[in-house]
Amino acid sequence: MASKDTVIAAHKIEVKHRGNTLGFWLFRQQLKFFGLRGAYFMLAIVAIHYLVFDKDARRRTMSYVRRRFPNAGFFGNMKAVYRLFLNQGQHLIDHFASITGAVSFDLRMENTDIIYKVGAAAEGCVLLTSHVGNWQIAMPCFAHISKKVYLVMRPEDNRAVAESMAVDRVNSQIRLISPEGDFGGAIEIVKVLGEGAVVSMMGDRRYNFDSVRVPSFLGAPASFPYGAFHIAAACKVPVVVFLSAKTGPQQYTVSVSRMIYPVYKEGKPKKDQIAEWVGEYASVLEEFVNKYPYQCFIFHDVWKE
Amino acid sequence: MEQKEQELAEIRKKLKGFIVTGLSLEGVKPEEIKDDTVLFGEGLGLDSLDAVEIVVLLQRNWGVDVKDMNDGRKAFYSIDTLANYIYDHLKK
Repeated sequence: MASKDTVIAAHKIEVKHRGNTLGFWLFRQQLKFFGLRGAYFMLAIVAIHYLVFDKDARRRTMSYVRRRFPNAGFFGNMKAVYRLFLNQGQHLIDHFASITGAVSFDLRMENTDIIYKVGAAAEGCVLLTSHVGNWQIAMPCFAHISKKVYLVMRPEDNRAVAESMAVDRVNSQIRLISPEGDFGGAIEIVKVLGEGAVVSMMGDRRYNFDSVRVPSFLGAPASFPYGAFHIAAACKVPVVVFLSAKTGPQQYTVSVSRMIYPVYKEGKPKKDQIAEWVGEYASVLEEFVNKYPYQCFIFHDVWKE
Repeated sequence: MEQKEQELAEIRKKLKGFIVTGLSLEGVKPEEIKDDTVLFGEGLGLDSLDAVEIVVLLQRNWGVDVKDMNDGRKAFYSIDTLANYIYDHLKK
């Protein structure tokens, strides 16, 4: 029989990091002395290295590339993988340049009325984003709503985000909830949502929750975690989907395109209802990757059973 | 002492009912759940998402907030421990 302490033990999440201290230092120097273009130039070479030598990164990217570019052929696929590596690197450089103040970026928001609505409401809300575009650079857009914002992430995975947004400092509006906490941080999420806070989660990251199949994402059934919707339904709060894309050399557009109210109806299995909400989120995601095919950084096979 | 037992029995009964209906447990009747049934993993087989619903359920039905997970972790072990947790909070 399980002991009382192990039944709901915290869940350890393994995340593989790429790059090393010397590499990051070189990029910082390039940025300092040659600006964005200099850093991008070095990135172009580093991305070739990853394309040729990082079999694991290539394999992970291919699951998306095959679905998004089904007729591209071998060279077309490799070109797409390279562009994805390049864009992801550029987004990281942009984020770093932004937080150090080396370069300023124009952040444009679409559907700002939804954000004002969230800020003005007494109830909390789940802000659902994804590994597409540059969510790190978009987060400051939500820093000035008059509510506490909680990011569900491990500080060690996104130190730059935590630093740039003064996360967890005294008087900071932005706090972290660790997904490694009890029940994947769910207890704390429920608590702060009840206090009217905003909780930002990744719609394509499992944390400690299960997934549900949606009928179609880029032409085939796919699995996405449903924790965000289940929590929102239990707490009776809306889910707001926000995605950001690079739309110019120094410009990002943050789109808050959908507000979903997950409310269970009687007579229908909960899981089926959750699948519908997750499907709605997946359709927003699909629209995004159709519009910005090289800004999708979901590097795991969501189509696999 | 006897009154405490009666109150605890009442909480346990309600709790079982809420868990079966609130978590849509199929093929399980509240009266079939034993007091020492483990909630997560083996036992009732609840998962992290069910925990979310239980937290909300405690809040709505008994006004009990799970603030300290050091206590909560032990409380969420079984029907019995959860009922005791609710009782203690109600008596505070």
